[in-house]
Amino acid sequence: MRRRSLTRIRILALILVAGLLAAPRNSSAAPRKKKPAKAKVALVNFDAHLPVLGTKLAEFPAGPGKALADAGCVFCHSADMVVQQRLTEKQWTAEITKMTGWGADVPVDKRDELIAYLVKNFGTDGPRYEPVVARPVGR
Amino acid sequence: MTGFSSIDRRRFLGFAALAAVAPGRLIAAAADGIPPGRRRMIQRNGYAIDAETPLDALMTYLTPNDLFFVRHHWNPQYAAHRGWGLVVDGEVERPLRLTVEDLRRMPRASATCVLQCAGNGRALFSPGIAGVQWQYGAVGNAKWTGVRVRDVLERAGLKATAKHLHTFGSDKPPLKVPPFWRSVELEKILADGIIADEMNGEPLPSVHGGPARLVVPGWAGDHWMKWLERISPQPEAQKGFYMETAYRYPKAPGAPGVAIPVAETQPVTEIFVKSTITDAPARARAGAAAVVRGFAFSGAPDVARVEISEDEGATWKPAELDPQHDPWAWRLWSYRWIPAVPGKATLWARATDSRGAVQPKDGVWNPSGYLHNGWHSAAVEVEA
Repeated sequence: MRRRSLTRIRILALILVAGLLAAPRNSSAAPRKKKPAKAKVALVNFDAHLPVLGTKLAEFPAGPGKALADAGCVFCHSADMVVQQRLTEKQWTAEITKMTGWGADVPVDKRDELIAYLVKNFGTDGPRYEPVVARPVGR
Repeated sequence: MTGFSSIDRRRFLGFAALAAVAPGRLIAAAADGIPPGRRRMIQRNGYAIDAETPLDALMTYLTPNDLFFVRHHWNPQYAAHRGWGLVVDGEVERPLRLTVEDLRRMPRASATCVLQCAGNGRALFSPGIAGVQWQYGAVGNAKWTGVRVRDVLERAGLKATAKHLHTFGSDKPPLKVPPFWRSVELEKILADGIIADEMNGEPLPSVHGGPARLVVPGWAGDHWMKWLERISPQPEAQKGFYMETAYRYPKAPGAPGVAIPVAETQPVTEIFVKSTITDAPARARAGAAAVVRGFAFSGAPDVARVEISEDEGATWKPAELDPQHDPWAWRLWSYRWIPAVPGKATLWARATDSRGAVQPKDGVWNPSGYLHNGWHSAAVEVEA
């Protein structure tokens, strides 16, 4: 899993580099003089150390059921969506029923184990969830 | 289906689109009044993207495009402007397919108004409700420009048999997840609806539904179909999960935590009157003036007043409304407060709209956590 995650991070890094290379430049066709990097940094209007939205993702905590959550939940949405919830067993059961109905890959005989994992980690008395703070997006 | 190792095409395209637009922001001008330190988003979901705006970045009349909240149901495949077309079919005399250029040749129309996710404030309900745990910032105010839905439907020869406008976006759900197909009552969309291809004077960003999205002033975001590719007037409302199960609100309030049969619910339409505090001092001094600020809006076209209470609603004093306003836009407001005595103080804000609806102390709990509009408060430490 770790190796796959690393591969994934490398792919994302490549995409980011590709995005930087493909970024629209000034429309002038004349050769541009390279400006010092300092000038560009001065125009940054947000904290460039913040992650790009959607590139820093929550991870499921270790424990029995983590593999089921990794396999069943993150095809459609990141783990962030799950780990921010604080739900009762009844609510988690309803969620798993809904999600498996929509195609989530949870073996029938593992369903209770996944629900127990979710209730244990993301029950109503779970700790406060701290979301990722990310760069603005959408201009 | 194998967890993180599987980057499917939608996710790949979603990340690629984000990466491709990221450099643009490196040189974006900060001319909109939001200083760099406040320019960030609270990620509620990494993919599909859900992100809300921190309240201290919601202090301007127009919310900058890059700070506007994002709500995707699943990873969209962003449509290119070239080749994009809007199909108009259904109960019309002349089915159409309009390109971006076609839209730009039609009479233009603008609306500066609030867009609020139906689920904004879900995290504030008790007992807790499953779904994106939005707090205060799944809302923004923008100038949307495009063409009137009415003009497009008249061009297609709208038939009198049509009562609902079915709307379709180009985003496709994964697996067996039902499609996000919706409809809006024709009466509302003919009166106020816009097919917008600009946001705050810029081409509508893909992340906000470009090339074109629906704008339904005064109604919750579930009606504002993004990546619009087809509209179809029909005699009946749209069916499916996102009409018949989701985005529904109880006809009458029930007990918190208790499920409500679908038959006793109705579609979410107008947003509720609401005021939110965006700026209050953590500390103030007794006898010295401090300023509290915020915004207020409603599904009614205007806000009549915003009031502040220091005693949990026993008495209220009026805040000052900023004169800048458009129908269904938010009102910025400010309140000059002189704390009388030292100690811990709490200020509550409530709004009343132009129809007389008053913001309630608590949002009405509902099974999906929609339209929370309970009073917002700020705690202040008053020093001697």
